[in-house]
Amino acid sequence: MAKLIPSLVAVALSTAIAGCSPAEQQDPKVTINTNPYPSTYHVLPNSTTLLKNAIVLTGTGQRIDGADVLIKDGKISAVGPQLSDEGAVVIDVKGKWITPGIIDVHSHLGVYPSPNAESHNDGNEMTNPVTAEVWAEHSVWPQDPGFNRAREGGVTTLQILPGSANLIGGRGVTLKNVPATTMQAMKFPNAPYGLKMACGENPKSLYGSRNELPMTRMGNMAGYRTAFIQATEYKRAWDKYDADYAAGKNPLVPERDLMKDTLKGVLEGDILIHNHCYKAEEMAMMIDLGKEFGYHAGTFHHAVEAYKIADLLAENGNCAAMWPDWWGFKLEAYDMVLENVAIVDAVKNACAIVHSDSGVTIQRLNQETAKIMHNANENGFDLKEEHVIGWLTANAAKSLGISDKTGSLEKGKNADVVVWNTNPFSVYAQAEQVFIDGAKVYDRQDPTYQAKSDFMLGQQ
Amino acid sequence: MTLFNKSALALSLSISLAFSCGAAQAESVAIIHATVHTVTDQGVLKDATVVIEDGKIVAINPTSTTADTIIDAKGAILTPGLIASMNDLGLVEIGAVGSSLDTYEKKADIIFDPSLAYNPKVTTVAFARKGGITRNVVSSGGGDDIFSGQIFTVNLSGNWNSILAANTGLVVSLGATEEGSRASGMQQLIHKLEDAKKAQAKKSKAKASTKEDDVELTREDDIINAVLAGEKPLIVEVDRASDILHLIKLKQNLDLELILVNAADAVLIADKLAQANIPVVIDSMRNLPENFDSLHNSLENAGKLVKAGVKVAIALPGDSHGIYALRFSAGNAVANGMSYDDALAAVTANVADIFHLETGRIAVGKPADLVLWSGDPFEFSSKVQKMWIAGEEQSTDSRQDKLRDRYLQKTAMPEAYSR
Repeated sequence: MAKLIPSLVAVALSTAIAGCSPAEQQDPKVTINTNPYPSTYHVLPNSTTLLKNAIVLTGTGQRIDGADVLIKDGKISAVGPQLSDEGAVVIDVKGKWITPGIIDVHSHLGVYPSPNAESHNDGNEMTNPVTAEVWAEHSVWPQDPGFNRAREGGVTTLQILPGSANLIGGRGVTLKNVPATTMQAMKFPNAPYGLKMACGENPKSLYGSRNELPMTRMGNMAGYRTAFIQATEYKRAWDKYDADYAAGKNPLVPERDLMKDTLKGVLEGDILIHNHCYKAEEMAMMIDLGKEFGYHAGTFHHAVEAYKIADLLAENGNCAAMWPDWWGFKLEAYDMVLENVAIVDAVKNACAIVHSDSGVTIQRLNQETAKIMHNANENGFDLKEEHVIGWLTANAAKSLGISDKTGSLEKGKNADVVVWNTNPFSVYAQAEQVFIDGAKVYDRQDPTYQAKSDFMLGQQ
Repeated sequence: MTLFNKSALALSLSISLAFSCGAAQAESVAIIHATVHTVTDQGVLKDATVVIEDGKIVAINPTSTTADTIIDAKGAILTPGLIASMNDLGLVEIGAVGSSLDTYEKKADIIFDPSLAYNPKVTTVAFARKGGITRNVVSSGGGDDIFSGQIFTVNLSGNWNSILAANTGLVVSLGATEEGSRASGMQQLIHKLEDAKKAQAKKSKAKASTKEDDVELTREDDIINAVLAGEKPLIVEVDRASDILHLIKLKQNLDLELILVNAADAVLIADKLAQANIPVVIDSMRNLPENFDSLHNSLENAGKLVKAGVKVAIALPGDSHGIYALRFSAGNAVANGMSYDDALAAVTANVADIFHLETGRIAVGKPADLVLWSGDPFEFSSKVQKMWIAGEEQSTDSRQDKLRDRYLQKTAMPEAYSR
């Protein structure tokens, strides 16, 4: 990697010289294809649907009792009392609750699928502390039965991330939770890519035990900084190429580097950071790291100590994705408080998210949220259902850069909708019907809408 | 085992003696106007009174109530303390910190007694009390051997004398292996028990014909013989139905007391388990086909087993940091087909029956392990209002609460100055 820097300087020099002869004809412009594995997602068969008489949590902080939700052309057409539409399939959901589809910003479904077998352990490229060149989407096994279980729990969108062995683990991908045979058919159209980074114990212990950098937390920081120094040079080379070309010169094309392509995307703001980072002091350093290199530190995942720096996170516009009660498996997960999410959320401009990182927990993110809401309310908070649903929907969408498309029941948004049999924050709640882009993808009462993975088919 | 029981008994005797010396000791407590889920044939008693004295339940709905302290439950639900099982509570503070980890002993074997490592002061104990858990059946993570040692029972008072009984069951792990055949583990277990049985027969024959002095038995022999005599349950962690069928046969051939733990595929042969009177300790939240031993995991399995007549305990096996959430697993079992009463029994009376604990029900003479809930014990909206372990009222404050409070208060000085 270090070898490339002098060669880039040479490239820059030679292009400068080449630029001196105005008569030279330009070679075809080289551009990097930023979307070589494009989405082939199609909305499943759907019709205009009118859900009547529900308690609706919009995801924007509103609760509307006795409300209807009208779904038309895959979008939310209207939310409110006594709607009607001539051509709509009317479903009476009196007494039931409706929320936006749940979004999990941290999943390994498909890359760490069930069954858990070495042959399918495709989530952690543990061969180098920086593997920004790997893309989780290239590992996703769409037949993971966990996708179906998650859908039964109301999950309509999820980000699949690489694991946390590396300082920079690679790109994540945002998927629609529809059953499909290919990853591309699940890919959320036009969702930005995420980049998985990891603080703390995982990278330092893995590479430290191999006697490689990083062995310490200071080694971690050195590793990120080295990578972003290289990325900065790489971006400079491409920017110069683009500028020279635009000026009519015929510059040499910088040598393509997959790892730096991704980091360049981060520096340009196209790729969002998703940083596995538990501890307050480390999150603060990652925020400064972003400032050092001119990118935004994005969302902190796991963020067990986020409550200690709630103000700092809000000031810098960082989301924090958290669990209610996972703790004690590592020293960096020791300072858990059940009210972490609520404390982070209580600050102005906060972006608190409940995430799973688990094929089991992803099925009950509503229950995970209920734990937090009720614990917090026992301890001085006054949280309501209509507010906390945003931890699973609107805030999660914001973190993934898709809040213009999903995450709330607002006119024009994708009709990603869950009908719950009762208050979704009850232990007895179950998702009864799930819609993605207005298409019914799950119905607890109707086997026609209960997808089964190829893997489970015919198992005795 | 018996030796330990005696010493535990002696301890508790000396404590109650010490208490009775003081004037204010031997306090009696009456909980009145409670909705009492007895988890006995008496069912749910509305507007009921439960009287505690000397650590025991001494009266339910007495004709007149006299007690040193009277607590008006105002209709709140009183249940037996919940009982967790088959986790490593007290054997680990932090999973990834080796020096705080006393489970997963590589050399664990039949005689391994993890109770010697138990620390009642781990932060997980106070945290577990938040979930209304009053007792726990602790098991170690095991090691290379199929035998991972023995279980022990504790209360969650956090007191130095919290171990109630040690070496109360032998744990075996069978089923899928990364290398080699599962047959080897099963065979090892069968041979170990059958050979011991033969040795016993041979010995008793030899005894009858000669008058030779007894050869002293090894510690391992003692344990295996106790298992063969049905004095100590054989607790098998296993998932695949084909493995379980071998174990049913083994139980019947040797007349063992057998407890299954995990048992993902038990649902396929539930009627056979019911017939053979084999209880199952299940994680009711498992519903992914984690491997080829557990293809039939489902949220409905716990309820289905009960319907088939199997005695079911709900547990969160393994790691102990999250066991406070045991009651939510029971709630989810209800949402997926188990009756409410069966689910409550699955975290109280059934656990007590399976592991031979004297608690788990609200009945006269039982230890006063009780929890008063602010609402439905299985709901997120409810919390523990009060709890008692052997009649002693417990705090549910934990280190987590102190951290929360420290960072919720805003002061000019660093947080480190607040307590």
